[in-house]
This record gives sequence, C-alpha cells and structure tokens, in this order.
Amino acid sequence: MYIELKNINKSYGSFKASDDVSFGIEKGKLFALLGPSGSGKTTILRMIAGLEKPDSGEILIDGKVVNDIPASRRGIGFVFQSYALFRYMTVYDNIAFGLKVKKVKKQEIDARVKELVKLIGLEGFEKRYPSQLSGGQRQRVAFARALAPNPQVLLLDEPFAAIDAKVRQELRSWLKEMIQKLGVTSIFVTHDQDEAIEVADEIIVTNRGRIEQTGTPIDIYQNPATAFTAGFFGVTSELEDYKAFRSFEEVEEYDRAIIRPEFVKITKKDEVQKYKTSAVEGTVERTAFRGNCIEFTVRCNGSILTARRELDEPRVEVGETVDVFIYRIFITHGDEVRLLPNNAIREESVVI
Amino acid sequence: MAKETQSQTVGAKPSPVVKWLLIGLSVLFLFVMLVLPLITVIQEALRKGFAAYREAISDPDAFSALNLTLEATVFAVVINTVFGLFAAWAVTKFRFHGKKLLVTLIDLPVTVSPIIAGLIYVLTFGRQSAIYPFLEEHDLRVVYAVPGIILATVFVTFPFISRELLPVLEAQGTDEEEAAAMMGAKGFTIFRKITLPHIRWALLYGIVLCTARAMGEFGAVSVLSGHLRGQTVTLPLQVEILFGDNKYMPAFAVSSILVILAVVILIVRSIVEYIGKEKK
Ligand SMILES: Nc1ncnc2c1ncn2[C@@H]1O[C@H](COP(=O)(O)OP(=O)(O)OP(=O)(O)O)[C@@H](O)[C@H]1O
Ligand SMILES: [Mg+2]
Repeated sequence: MYIELKNINKSYGSFKASDDVSFGIEKGKLFALLGPSGSGKTTILRMIAGLEKPDSGEILIDGKVVNDIPASRRGIGFVFQSYALFRYMTVYDNIAFGLKVKKVKKQEIDARVKELVKLIGLEGFEKRYPSQLSGGQRQRVAFARALAPNPQVLLLDEPFAAIDAKVRQELRSWLKEMIQKLGVTSIFVTHDQDEAIEVADEIIVTNRGRIEQTGTPIDIYQNPATAFTAGFFGVTSELEDYKAFRSFEEVEEYDRAIIRPEFVKITKKDEVQKYKTSAVEGTVERTAFRGNCIEFTVRCNGSILTARRELDEPRVEVGETVDVFIYRIFITHGDEVRLLPNNAIREESVVI
Repeated sequence: MAKETQSQTVGAKPSPVVKWLLIGLSVLFLFVMLVLPLITVIQEALRKGFAAYREAISDPDAFSALNLTLEATVFAVVINTVFGLFAAWAVTKFRFHGKKLLVTLIDLPVTVSPIIAGLIYVLTFGRQSAIYPFLEEHDLRVVYAVPGIILATVFVTFPFISRELLPVLEAQGTDEEEAAAMMGAKGFTIFRKITLPHIRWALLYGIVLCTARAMGEFGAVSVLSGHLRGQTVTLPLQVEILFGDNKYMPAFAVSSILVILAVVILIVRSIVEYIGKEKK
C-alpha cells in the first residue's frame, strides 16, 4: 500500500466528519472518493494532504507515518475544488510557483514549465492570467501546477465540478490518460457515480463520515456490500411491497427493496415471453429517449419503477398495459444488503 | 470590493419632478453643509490680504502644529497599517474562538466618543494610574505630551485600514494561500506574492482614509494634549486656541492649511479609487 489510512477520526465540534476511516491505495493507482455531499470526502483528502489534522488514527505514505509532517513536505500535489489558481500570476508563473519556492534553477524551471504547458496543450497561453482562460483550461493549469514539483501523490477535489457537461467528458478521459502516463498515485473526489465508474481504477464509497465500501467499479456495482451502496449506485427505484411481485423468496424483516433498470424486463402483451407466469401487469406512465435506449416509468403494484428497452424493439406507448418481470432485487435490512434472485430463473436452470 | 449594482427600477418609474426635487435637495444640502463653510474658511483667511495670510501661517506655533499633526499622522498610518493587516489577516484566514469579539473590538473606536477615548488614556497613563510611577522613573511622559497625542490618533483611526481589508480578504478566501503553502511557500512569500496583490488597492484606500481622519482628529487629542503651545498642539487644536483668543483671521488661515490637505487627500483618494477599479 502506498497510501494508507488507519482508523482516522475527525470531528468539527460535535460533528463527526470522519468516523473510523481506513483504506489503502496501491502505487500508481487512480482512486475515486465517491459519496453524497457532506459525506466527508474533502475532509479525507485534506487530511491526507496535511491541510487538516486528524483527531486520531494514522496516515501513512510510502510506509512512513506522515501525521506530523507539514503539508509542504509530504510530496503531494493538490488540485482544489475551485482550482485556487493564483489570479495575479500568469499561467507560466502559476505553474512555475512551486519550483521557484523550492529554489530550482531558472533554466530547469523554464524547461519544466514548457514541458507541462505542452502536456496540457496550452502552448501560447503562458502569458495569460487565469481570468482570461475557460473553465477547462483553468482546470488543466491547476493540474499542471500541482504536477510541476513532481509529486508522488496527486489529490484532486471535484476536478470536474465547475465544468460544463461536454467539456467534462473530454477532460475525464484526458485526465485518466495523463495520470496513467505519469504513473502518479492519485485520488480524486466526486459525487458523480458515472464519473467515478468511468475514470477510477477503484472506488471508495463514503457516507456520513464512514467508508461504506472499497472496490473496483464493477465489483461495487454488482455486489454492493451495504444498504447505502445498493441504493446509491445506478438508477434505482424502490418497490413498495416486493412480495406482490411473484416468485421471490419471502424475507421476514426488511427495510427497502431496491431495483435497477437492468433488473426489470417489460414486455408488450402480444410479445412472446419466457417468464409469463411470474410477471405482473403494469401501466406505462412516461417514456424518455436516452440516446441508446428508451427509458420507461412504469406503475406496477403501487410502485413506480424504471425500465429500459432497446431502440429496435417494438414501440411501447404511454398508458399501455405491459407485463413486468423482475430478475432480482436488493433487499436491505439495517446496514445489510442481500441480493434476492427471482426463483423462476433458478427453477428453470435446475430443470435444464 | 465596491460592487456597482445598476439598480433598474422595475415597473413604476419615479416622475421627473421627484427626481429633480431629490437631486436639488441633495445639492442644496451639500452646498449649505460643506461647500459654504469651505468657501467661508478661504474667504475669511484671505480677508486681510495675502500678506497677512502668509504671516499667520508662518507663525512658529502654526508651523509646529503642522509638524506635530504630520508626525502623529505618519505614526498613526504606519502603526495602523501594520496592525490593521494583522487583525484583518487573523480574522479572515484563521478559525478561532472569540473571532466575533475581535471584529467588534476593531469597530470600537468608531462607536466610542473620542473624548472618552482620551479620558481612558488619561486614566491609564496619568498621575492616578498604577503604572505612573514606572513611567515617571523611566522619564516617559504620555499625558500632556507628544506620545499621548500619537496614541490618541492611533486609537481613533484604528478601524479605517482593517475595515477596508476585511471584505476583500474575506472574499478571497484561503484557497490560494493554502495552495501556495502546500507547495512549500513560507508565510512572508505567500503574503507578498498572493495576498498583497489582492488587497493592494483596498490597503491604499484605507491608508488614505486613515490619513484624512488622523489629520483632523480633535476630541481625543484635545483631552491628552494639555494645550502646551508650540509643543503639544496639533493643527485642529491650534485653530481652537486662536479662535478662543478671538484671532479669527489667523484661525481661518490655519484652518485653510487643513482644508488644503483635505483636498489633496480627496484627489489622491479619487485617483486610487479610479486606478483600483481599472485594475479589476
Ligand atoms: N471547517 C469546518 N468546520 C465545521 N464543519 C466542517 C468543516 N469542514 C467540513 N465540515 C463539515 O464536515 C462534513 C463533511 O464535509 P466535507 O467537506 O468533507 O464534505 P464533502 O463530502 O466534501 O461534501 P461536498 O461534496 O459537498 O464537497 C460536512 O457536514 C461539513 O459541514
Ligand atoms: Mg467537498
């Protein structure tokens, strides 16, 4: 583990911003800290950077406890949520700042800044001030500035938050590529699950100051370890009474029954279907074109759920009565989550 | 950061009568309250001709009063710039208990009558004070001496610089400083390279205001001065003394020096304000 947090606690007054946080990150990996607003993501990042002191617990970087090492000597590059570019300095001076402070030779600074300006594709912009750049350009300057002193660790707080959707998409892939190329161990904060899934090697899910789960995007998506993760990932709908849907095991005590669009199959009345006996009827309330599929809002047994159909399947209209079959359900109880498969599928595989 | 909001009155537009009435009243008020007295000062000062005017202002007492005023002003500006920076910095860049109290205290000199401020210093440093024997022993005179005048001026003008800096520093936040600190910059480098460029114009503006106020200070200084002619008398006090002696023409002549200084400061202020806005 290159970066390791062991039982970190941090309170602001009586509010617990970090509650027994522990995780480890391997060298060269790109991790995402993902969680809702106020879940303590920035707090964790700032503690790793040394901008905030944990109340208890240890932070290790490269095997050394860094709790008492000041931020400036931890070898960390930090990209702030708002970029925090020095607004009275040019792009060149912004990037050069960290090196000038370290009293690096002038020629070396010049070479390094040129190299970075080229890397971020902003040649010819060296003399501009941050206010004369677009959001995406500023973000790239912030990235270059953090990288200039060759940090071992790069921390990014919501690097894409202030950028509009289209540019954000481009920047995501750009950033992932850059970080892979440079091999710098990185953590970025986001509350956008798509972003985390797309960019990160692994995701750390935070909620109310705690770590809910750590794992690869696929792993977290498919096997949520906690009730929170199950409800947080993907487009989820909740079933009022899952027992009204057929062929599911009856669980005595449960809090919520959560499904995702890919758990649902909707079929027109005149279409052939495999599990007709286990399906229930529902009414289509809304349809929405999603580019590569059509998304439906269906009312069924008193619940509103989201389902999808391919574009080339026969059209389903608003108000139409359809058959709804559910493949599986996440059942939560307290912090626990359980995946309930539809027994109709299991029986079939047993028969065959 | 003076935000110029072009407030467009939505819907009901005030009638031109109201508009001109309001403008007219404002102008009339300004004329009666400000312009007329100023003209009177100059007029009275020059009533007995220019030669008499020159004689009045080259009087050694007037000259020493001007000197003392400038001396107190320089002290007040330097001391308040340093402490104003410290205070504004502490309040905006750190989290600590009693921050609200500190902000309130910064404003104290504006809310307390200058006379009371003067009396407080008389009680603190005067004969009845506990530290008076100590001061006596070291031959330090505060009350009825120049240090007292400087002290009073500093006290009265304290909020002017920090008040200008607070909103600017507040708006800037701490991110840029944190970013610089993370890269290993030391406190003074951060101040010089990051913070100072940001507050430059507010600071200058605060200094101008502080200067203006320091030169005109009368109340607190009057209590601490003791009115020793040629020694502890500032320009405003000199005016008062002359006036008390029924020497109207010289009183106005000395006043005119203050008026000229005030006009110079106003011009400097406008220039600072103008350039500050251009730079934004
Ligand atoms: N300096 C502070 N003083 C008091 N409370 C704080 C401070 N910083 C953070 N908090 C609190 O700690 C909690 C976690 O804050 P944090 O900034 O880590 O959240 P976050 O996950 O980064 O949220 P967001 O996605 O909105 O940025 C919040 O409830 C916040 O109010
Ligand atoms: Mg945050």
